[in-house]
Amino acid sequence: MTSEARPPDPAPEDAEQGQVVEMPAASRVADVAIDELEMIYAFIYSRVGNRADAEDLTQQVAMKAIPRLRQGAPASAVRGYLFATARSVLGGFWSTRLGLSESELHDDLAMAMPQGGYSEESDERVRRILEQLSDNYRRVLELRFLHGYSLKEVAAEMRSTVGAVKVMQLRALRAAAKVRLDE
Amino acid sequence: MSERPEDRVDRIVSALLRGRRLKLRGGDAEEKEAIVLAARLAAASRGPQRMSPAFRQQLVKQLGAATPQESWMTRRAALVAGLGIAAGAVGGGLLGRSLDGGGSQPSAGAGKVLEPTNGRWIDVGALADFAPGQARMVKAGAVGAFVTRTGDGVSAVSSICSDLPCELWWDGSQHALVCPCHNRTFTADGSSNGTYKLPSLGVVQTRVRDGRVEVLGA
Repeated sequence: MTSEARPPDPAPEDAEQGQVVEMPAASRVADVAIDELEMIYAFIYSRVGNRADAEDLTQQVAMKAIPRLRQGAPASAVRGYLFATARSVLGGFWSTRLGLSESELHDDLAMAMPQGGYSEESDERVRRILEQLSDNYRRVLELRFLHGYSLKEVAAEMRSTVGAVKVMQLRALRAAAKVRLDE
Repeated sequence: MSERPEDRVDRIVSALLRGRRLKLRGGDAEEKEAIVLAARLAAASRGPQRMSPAFRQQLVKQLGAATPQESWMTRRAALVAGLGIAAGAVGGGLLGRSLDGGGSQPSAGAGKVLEPTNGRWIDVGALADFAPGQARMVKAGAVGAFVTRTGDGVSAVSSICSDLPCELWWDGSQHALVCPCHNRTFTADGSSNGTYKLPSLGVVQTRVRDGRVEVLGA
């Protein structure tokens, strides 16, 4: 087993080209991959925010990547390859939905690979982004997303109007999207 | 008349908060950063997600693999159903249980054990009728509870959200108890999901007698 089996750079393009990654000899490809796909699913879900799209995209990753895996290489390579494929699939998803080329979408928020799977990292990152916002922006996003308030409820809570909250929500999202965290 | 940016983004946010697919229209790309961020926030509000058992099985089938049944069950037990806890606790007799683990976030801690005044044990069905890992709603007099089978035992949590006075429902695909009032979810053992933790659900006392599940109601 050599390191050549591992994708040198888990870029989306590599995944699209069908690089072969070897699997541990003692493991059956699908058995190992299905557990790894749990992580892929969580990663994709954390980027698209809904189950139906996350399932479709995870399925795409599985169908693209699994046939290219073989017995024999470290599990880390398998995971890296699956994540590379996931990034590629996510790129295609955002590109199709937003009508933009993938080159316009090289966005950390949309596709950046997590350091250690998903765990709480995604949540932590969101929390840190919110911390960077002004009080009003943070409040509107917390109430709307984390507490599930309707616009009307947010307006009542913030003693504002629905129209003003809607505008504030947009500005808060734009501001949050601009936050760059030091990793 | 073209859609205003705030309306455009709120349409997408509202759909995301209802758990719907991202359906984008022409022109939505103008707000791509906000939309992508909204999707991340919507995901973060629900915490780390796992594949539903149905989707997982579908994937296994598609991958042409026989499901590794034993390890799959163990995984489910550890992460969702809490079967591992039950394995050590099965005695066949009285299993009044305070949950101190077994959900996907056991460290969050169990809720307060409910002690109904003049409580009485109420039969809510045969143990065999409770599918492992799936919370099922029962009424024990005035006490509503979601009962989850854990091996040969059961555990239960209150059917009322710990934050708002709303009745929860069980989403089997998410393996979560969902509060319809504010889009928050709890694990089957009552722990709050998501970044901002709510108090855990109250623990409802249960026991198994002669293959029948009983809940301490009022």
